[in-house]
Amino acid sequence: MDIVDKIIENINYLGAIALFVIGLRIVVLHSNLIKRIMGLNIMGTGVFLFFVSIGNVTGGVPPIIYPDSSGAVYINPIPSVLILTGIVVVVSITVYSLSLVIRIYENYETIDQKELSRLISEEANDH
Amino acid sequence: MIIEQLPIINLLLFLLMALFIPLLKRKPFKITLILGFVVLGLVFISSVYLLWYVNNVGIIIYTFGGFEARFGIEFVVDPFSALFTTIIAILAAIIYIYSSGDATDGIEKTEYGRYYILLFLLLMSMFGILYTNDIFNTYVFIEILSITTCAIISIKKKKDTYTSAFRYLMMNELGSLSYLIGVALIYMATGYTNITLIGESMSNAFQAYQLNIVIALGFMIIGLGIKAAVFPFHIWLPDAHSSAPSTSSAILSAIVIKVYILVFVKVLFRVFNLEILNEMSISTILLILAGVGMIMGSVFAIAQKDVKRMLGYSSVAQMGYILLGIGLLSFEGLRAAFFHILSHGLMKTALFLSVGEIIFYKKTRKVNDFDGLGFIMPVAMGVFSIAALGMIGLPLTSGFISKLNLGMAVLDKNQTIFLVILIISSLLNVIYYLPIIISAFLKNEKYHYRLESIEKTPRTMIAPLILLGLLIIVVGIFPNQIMVFIESAVRSVMP
Amino acid sequence: MNDIIIKNITRIVIPFAQIYGIFVILNGHVSPGGGFAGGAIIGTSLILYTLVFGREKGRKKFSHKASEIAETGGILIYVIVGLIGLVVAGRFLTNLGAGFPEGVIGNIISGGMIPILMIGIGIKVASTMISLFNLLIDEAI
Repeated sequence: MDIVDKIIENINYLGAIALFVIGLRIVVLHSNLIKRIMGLNIMGTGVFLFFVSIGNVTGGVPPIIYPDSSGAVYINPIPSVLILTGIVVVVSITVYSLSLVIRIYENYETIDQKELSRLISEEANDH
Repeated sequence: MIIEQLPIINLLLFLLMALFIPLLKRKPFKITLILGFVVLGLVFISSVYLLWYVNNVGIIIYTFGGFEARFGIEFVVDPFSALFTTIIAILAAIIYIYSSGDATDGIEKTEYGRYYILLFLLLMSMFGILYTNDIFNTYVFIEILSITTCAIISIKKKKDTYTSAFRYLMMNELGSLSYLIGVALIYMATGYTNITLIGESMSNAFQAYQLNIVIALGFMIIGLGIKAAVFPFHIWLPDAHSSAPSTSSAILSAIVIKVYILVFVKVLFRVFNLEILNEMSISTILLILAGVGMIMGSVFAIAQKDVKRMLGYSSVAQMGYILLGIGLLSFEGLRAAFFHILSHGLMKTALFLSVGEIIFYKKTRKVNDFDGLGFIMPVAMGVFSIAALGMIGLPLTSGFISKLNLGMAVLDKNQTIFLVILIISSLLNVIYYLPIIISAFLKNEKYHYRLESIEKTPRTMIAPLILLGLLIIVVGIFPNQIMVFIESAVRSVMP
Repeated sequence: MNDIIIKNITRIVIPFAQIYGIFVILNGHVSPGGGFAGGAIIGTSLILYTLVFGREKGRKKFSHKASEIAETGGILIYVIVGLIGLVVAGRFLTNLGAGFPEGVIGNIISGGMIPILMIGIGIKVASTMISLFNLLIDEAI
């Protein structure tokens, strides 16, 4: 039962890696542009989960100093703070790429990557 | 103690400039331009001063808010960052002067303000990447850089820019997230995000958590490789760089991808150290990537009919040269790589700006339409020829010096095969650059241009081109003056 | 959307949401939360308003110019606070060393400059959320 214990102990890391790989697969292999953006978000979530779980301390409390909370075990705040920045970045990337998808849809009337490549190569041949 | 504050003041100047452009919207656009030029001038002066200071007095370490480096963010100005911020400031100033002429092709008048906002944010993030001594802070600046780069690509309201910007964004985000997971793994193993502290504890961490460090190195190489357009990850580059406006293509090709490769250097030599790199024989991997990139980039470039796409693929090949220098993991190799970053920056800027002028006046991007252009646009084609000859590596240009150094470094490490690849790649360069020069100056059958009909171009466009042409030659003839700074930069990276 | 129930409930909910957002911003340094979370709450309430009452009314409540000024102002607060630290104590973003009051731990006025920074971040995040949302729906038209 050694391996089961190990899996339970590291379930957060395994989950993070699973999310990362699922996201990567969607980004690389899906041809729907909006699904690719979703994949990017899933991938980002995987990385964030990984980063945040590094800072966890079993039995720790949020690292805010109260007058009566001396001697408490705090969790490591630095990964959480860093990841807040990461979340902001992924949100802005998502918004930006969604607006690009809207523009692409206006111009080509499709959000399918294969269809898009076909249209673009047809246009290139016309010239 | 004002000198200690200069790095943060540089960043704040760029940031405040970007913030004030929207507020100046109602005023004539000239005020914004002049203000921007003043800001660039101030930053240029302060970077040159910092370059002198770090080479003669000592490096500057600046911690934010007075926190110790373990918790806070630290800026380090050493010969490495000072040298490259100066180079960026020079190139940015030249490109800025050029773009202040009316040659920002394809951008609507109402978008000018936005273009300059993005330009200044771009510069801020690049300066930040070079100054900062914190791998997570680097990630934040990298993200600012990739969003602004992407926005600057898609600022042209044309169909194809959207798709290429989208592809660029997806690829770059994959790269950023790979880099971030590398940061997470390193933080897990060492407990620091400060580069100096990580470097000190890296050897112990490598003994204790070998798997973490190996995976982190892999993720970081792939992530930064995607962003720096190292060969197998280059597919986004030609589209993105050719569909952007010419001035931004120059910035993207000449500066932005170089910044990523500089982060790569920082990560390899400061975060990890030579022992770990040698143990995992990173050198072999990098050299193979570089060699394949040098050949394949040039081969793809030959097949292109669009001149800007050709220049984009040529950038891929040139990134191979730089990676070759880094991959040797030796003093000489790094010196050659740094020199090539400078000389390629100058040459690519010259190429893109001169091509930009030709596109602006002749409305053509086809290589075949360059027939006889030397007769009506002598300055643009002349500078194009100088830069193209530099790319080929003819003596008297800066390209020759960098190739010479690269060749010496390769021989030093007994990697003769890469000397052969270097020569083959140079010959391939001849195949795609020389016909353009020949058809521009020696043929004049298609349009029968006459010398009297020289195009009137604004002085703000001509002057930067001439300056770039001169700089390429001056750097080619007197490389030793610059080599001093480059060598001290190499020494500060590679202890 | 012309549903009277949704409109009335939105009218009731929005003030509470905004006050809660302000509460989260101001308590950012003594409890979990802070400028980002609170700003996001305020921004979401503005997005809710635009969703329910339409783009035109939303624009009246929070115009493009207002969001531009708020975004610039948010960063400016941050930069100015940082510059105070630079001028007084010689380091950008110095907190207690630059004369910001430390206060009593656990009170709202404590932690030196952090509440001020939180307000700046809150303004910036709220206005960015609403302007990103407006950008997307303007594109879609």
